[in-house]
Amino acid sequence: MQKSKNLNRTLTKMWNYKWIYLMLLPVMVYYIVFKYIPMYGVTIAFKDYNVFKGVLGSPWCGLEVFKKILSNKNFWEAIKNTLLLNFISLLVSFPLTIIVSLMLNEVLSTKFKKITQSVLYLPHFISWVVVAGIATNLFSQQGGTINQMFHALGLPSVPFLSDEGWWVFTYVLCNVWKEIGWGTIIYLAALTGVDESLYEAAYLDGATKLQRLFYITLPSIKSVIVTMLILQISKMMTIGLDAPLLLGNKKVMGVSEVISTYTYRLGIERAKYSDSTAIGLFQSVINIIILLAADKFAKAIGEDGII
Amino acid sequence: MAGSINKKKKITAGQIVNYLLLTLLAFICLYPFLNVIAYSLSGYNAVLSGRVTFYPIDFNLEAYKQILGKTQIWNSMRTTVLVTLLGTALSLVMTIFASYGLSRNDLPGRKFLTGTILFTMYFGGGMIPTFLVVKGVGLYDTLGALFIPQAVNVFNFIVMRTFFKNLPESLEEAARIDGASYLQVLVRIVLPLSLPIIATIGLFYAVGYWNTYFDALLYIQDPNKYTLQLRLRSLLFGEELNNSGANLEGLGTQVMTQSLKMATVAVSTIPILVVYPWLQKYFVKGVMVGSVKG
Repeated sequence: MQKSKNLNRTLTKMWNYKWIYLMLLPVMVYYIVFKYIPMYGVTIAFKDYNVFKGVLGSPWCGLEVFKKILSNKNFWEAIKNTLLLNFISLLVSFPLTIIVSLMLNEVLSTKFKKITQSVLYLPHFISWVVVAGIATNLFSQQGGTINQMFHALGLPSVPFLSDEGWWVFTYVLCNVWKEIGWGTIIYLAALTGVDESLYEAAYLDGATKLQRLFYITLPSIKSVIVTMLILQISKMMTIGLDAPLLLGNKKVMGVSEVISTYTYRLGIERAKYSDSTAIGLFQSVINIIILLAADKFAKAIGEDGII
Repeated sequence: MAGSINKKKKITAGQIVNYLLLTLLAFICLYPFLNVIAYSLSGYNAVLSGRVTFYPIDFNLEAYKQILGKTQIWNSMRTTVLVTLLGTALSLVMTIFASYGLSRNDLPGRKFLTGTILFTMYFGGGMIPTFLVVKGVGLYDTLGALFIPQAVNVFNFIVMRTFFKNLPESLEEAARIDGASYLQVLVRIVLPLSLPIIATIGLFYAVGYWNTYFDALLYIQDPNKYTLQLRLRSLLFGEELNNSGANLEGLGTQVMTQSLKMATVAVSTIPILVVYPWLQKYFVKGVMVGSVKG
């Protein structure tokens, strides 16, 4: 009796909301078609995909594809490169972003601060094609602006883009250049929330600037720092395809071939649909495991989770 | 903040160092753009002899004249403008519908529907299954492939839903009692109050569509439908990047001078630089709303 009353009430409510549901309809259709059907499509990782038979018609082959991939040297190379590039980028950009935020926070002139921020955010909005174009103009060994400056100073030229070690340096530099300003936004927001009376009390007690930094500022934004770090770590296995594909070249394939570029070359250029999908699936599963672990860890140390 | 205490004191040496370092950093962020402009406006010989660094030498507009005289560039520009406009419009409408609908706490099925959307942040089909779907629905090699398959961004949805949730409920209730439909409430009350967030998210979508490179590489084959980024890539790097037989036609086959390359870069970036200062004041707020997380 009670149950049917509740059901009735829910149904009336749903009827009242019919126009809302109608608004949600295209969105849900979009998610089903472009997100959930491809999720079903990952089954081709377990199939011997045949273009003519399609996703549903191709015969199952169990874990054959995975066996093939896991024994491929290139696959492990791509994983190694993904982790390496992400790790070095994190190591450089993470502390640097915090330092720049703290520096911006110390600026007294609001005008100077605003202008600097505008300039620092700008590279975030530039496409990787343009960044790669500019980087080539600046860093190439022949005719690159930087090497010409070196030449004028009597220094030897540096293979920024054609030596594997230097390429990693250039890749990290471009990434830091593009995203460092943008990354400060979240810390600056946290820094404005720090209780000012704490600084005044510390100042009256004769605390030095450095003491104020270590005992007030950093502890106050600790939870943001931890959350950001965990978020970054949970993306360890993922690199967008644009940067390594556009900055990379044949000479540095040994470090620039990451998981995304590998799946692209395998899937699109060589039409090995099953192999490429299997690698993507492998990456997704690892990502979820890292994400869940990072979330557990965050909660265990008393911070907010990230899911 | 730390600043206010220091106001009473003289400017310290530490402050000066801080200002200098930040100025240097800002310069590093700007220098590549200066470099592009300097190259694009310099004479052929000055570029070849490597004298150009900060400012144009032998100032001339030859590179711009050449690049703007190519119909391919104009074609690609038109394609990109079209994709950006259509894509941003579609994305905004879809994101607003999703956020408005799912921002109400008593909508039956709200949890399930929201969960369906959020789950896609953590798991997806990946490149090839998505590619097959896009092909399957007939979008392959059409401009629709550049915005329909990525119409709604989950992060933008979260940001906007958070914003809608924080709007005062009383306004909407009053309008409802007066007999306004949900669509009327959305258009007449909610949207006018949400202009800053709509501007921010519109900017994110627009920049995303303007800069789209990979989707175009994946889904567009006909050189006549090349977007600006795709065209730019083939002009700057030739076929080296894409071993699957990039379409090198017209301009791309000539060896382009550095000036011409940099003029192309400038032309494709200027639209962003033009709208950027206008929208800049909004987006910081948008990112912060998003960081509060829904």
